[in-house]
Amino acid sequence: MKIFYLFMLFSSILFADSLSSLLQKYKNTSEKSLKTVDEKLGHVIIYSQKEIRLMQYNKLSDILKELPLMNFNTNRYGLTSPSLAGTKTTTSGFFRFFINDHEISSAYSQSEALSWDDLPLDFIDHVEIYYGDSSFAKGNETGIYFIRMYTKSALKENANEIKLRGSNNGSNLQSVMQSQSFENGWSTLLFFNNEKSNATMDYEDQTLQNNSNRKYLYLDVSNENTNINIGYANIKKDNYMGLSFDVQPDGGEIESKDFFVDITQYFLEDKSIKLGLSFDINNLYNEEKNKEGIGLIPVLDLASLGTTIPKEYNTEAQLTKTNVYLSKSFQYKNNNFLTAINIKNKQYKTKHRTTVNFLNTKTDVGQYSDFDEETAYSFLFEDDYRVSKDLILIANAKVDKYNKKGYLEDSTEKLFRIGTIYTPFKNFGLKSFYTSTYIPISFYNTDLANKNSKNLKSQKYKIATFEGVYTHGESKFSVLYHNVKIHDFVYLTPVGFINVDHDIKTEGLTFNYEYHFSNTNKINLNYYAMRLSETINNSDKGGYIKYMGEYDKFSYFTSLLYKSSYDYLDIHVRSSFDLSLGVTYNFSKDLSASIKGSNLLNKSTKSLYTKGFPGDTFALEDHDRSIYFSLKWVF
Amino acid sequence: MKTIISLITLVSFSYANQYTFLLDKYDKEIELEAKIIAKIATASISKQIKLFIPQISPMEKKVYSKFFTLAKNCQTSNFVFMNKTIDNEELCVKTNKLFFTNNYKKLLADNRYYGAFFWYKSRPNIVFVKNRLKTKGIELPQEYNQYIEDLDEK
Repeated sequence: MKIFYLFMLFSSILFADSLSSLLQKYKNTSEKSLKTVDEKLGHVIIYSQKEIRLMQYNKLSDILKELPLMNFNTNRYGLTSPSLAGTKTTTSGFFRFFINDHEISSAYSQSEALSWDDLPLDFIDHVEIYYGDSSFAKGNETGIYFIRMYTKSALKENANEIKLRGSNNGSNLQSVMQSQSFENGWSTLLFFNNEKSNATMDYEDQTLQNNSNRKYLYLDVSNENTNINIGYANIKKDNYMGLSFDVQPDGGEIESKDFFVDITQYFLEDKSIKLGLSFDINNLYNEEKNKEGIGLIPVLDLASLGTTIPKEYNTEAQLTKTNVYLSKSFQYKNNNFLTAINIKNKQYKTKHRTTVNFLNTKTDVGQYSDFDEETAYSFLFEDDYRVSKDLILIANAKVDKYNKKGYLEDSTEKLFRIGTIYTPFKNFGLKSFYTSTYIPISFYNTDLANKNSKNLKSQKYKIATFEGVYTHGESKFSVLYHNVKIHDFVYLTPVGFINVDHDIKTEGLTFNYEYHFSNTNKINLNYYAMRLSETINNSDKGGYIKYMGEYDKFSYFTSLLYKSSYDYLDIHVRSSFDLSLGVTYNFSKDLSASIKGSNLLNKSTKSLYTKGFPGDTFALEDHDRSIYFSLKWVF
Repeated sequence: MKTIISLITLVSFSYANQYTFLLDKYDKEIELEAKIIAKIATASISKQIKLFIPQISPMEKKVYSKFFTLAKNCQTSNFVFMNKTIDNEELCVKTNKLFFTNNYKKLLADNRYYGAFFWYKSRPNIVFVKNRLKTKGIELPQEYNQYIEDLDEK
């Protein structure tokens, strides 16, 4: 009788759906992009393949600009870069960016801004954002926000794709993707993209140029146990404001060429041994001309400003990064253990650096400091202990030993993290972490260090987070509380980086609500607010509302991003409301056309800048209104 | 406190389609894959199915065993789903077991396979080879006609 019931149950499960509806469900499930999620890494936000497609997120910056607890502003070089809420980026390292397992943040500044913030998402399957330090399990360098992009699978794409995009300001983009699988189990995915972007911003009676040309190449060669990833980015762009005292440089440009190769190999049947090898090389070139002078902090001498202020500046540098990672995971009773070692070497070579002052004297500046190489040896250990079916305790420990060439002393950093994930009911869960971590000093920090206090120390962070999630039917509601205390915060003053002499504290709340109207339509609301112990110089509250869906041959979305107003010195910066709308029409399963409007209310975020030295502060819009048209053909 | 506990208990019984935290590795994709293979195998074989997946992963074993009796080796199975790259030349040579693959190129190259379940243009696909169905004496239900292709056999 029991067997009969089991048979009936099995049959009813299996035959309730037709083969075609099962295939459709399989596709929908795959588009949710949940296979790589690791709740133990931190508090996670997922941008699934479906959401990326419906919301027309064309490039990484489209996602970054709406993330909670951070701002995404344009800097003096016209690059958009993230900063923690309430602050504007002066130093990096809080945000770490990855393509699959490979960190793409700059070896120089720890920032992604120059090469990767406009990375096209056509070859990206999904993006996972972790709030919390996930370097414990992955062996990467430390940070607060981890942005992990996972590339599309060649096995699933298995086709060719061409995409063309144009915009109302004359920008245009072409991309090609080719993927195939072979009989022997190997598969390849090749992506190439070329983008010419026209962007200007009016400032006083002049127009600041922010035009750029970006090329990206990505190749993935994989089989079941091996992944070989090769990436290349070539960026050439205007200086925008550059470091010119009058904010309007007379000439100059920035060029960056980034190349990386990353090989990951899994061993044993359960893939419990993982070996990762990678190599990055980045060539940076920058020149600037300005007859009113350039605020190049490392060469300025306050005692003789007249002879040290340059009117021309020219530099070329090369950064290399080599990384080896080896991990082993194993189970014992209710414990999942992970232990790993990671060795990373970074080298910074100044090829040439010259300045010309107002007396037309050309100076070969050379390298700013003798700190030009660093090797970090890391050992990490993780244990997640399953106390019961609904309770997991997590413990992490990591030791990073730094060997530094030059004036900075060798150092050893010890960090740890404890956490719990508790789901007492199917629709109610709690997650919390307490982390003691740090952000290392970068070559950029030492290049621009205040000459009177060059021995910069790493920033120490104590982070406590608590998240509650409640679901009901098609609704999901979550609240995240964070409390962060920073010791030795690295801050950029008009004369260079210093360690702030007091602790900085911040705490805040993030609310998120989403509702699925049907299998395809979804609404998402987000709001955050935070408190900072310092004077804020950027929005400290923000949020968004997003609606996306599909009907017949159409898919559509709308979103409104909000960042709060604030006052800094005698400047009032208004709230920003970035409204976007978009529609895609699918002529067939393989051919589609899209239109997307961004910043339609023309009330984008504003950023603070200084003019002169030490300078007067002013605010300027980050983006213009834009309309994009695109065409995609899969064959 | 009592009220809070009662409230949480009450709401916990309400219907929930969303998840809170994914404590276990996400297995819904493999589950649907297993359902699809189970449907195909059931339509192809009238007897009880004994499935063999070479080098089966622990996760696959857990999920597929909900829908199949899993065979420990190829010899004791009657349906083989080849979803990994292995040296398969030696596998169950000269037997009348049904072979299914997840690789379309393998289906084209090796006439042991009568069908494949694979991705193409970001969409999952199924193809059965007409001649091979005939050779193996498989009669599929009518709803499968759209998946049958008349490939030129070498």
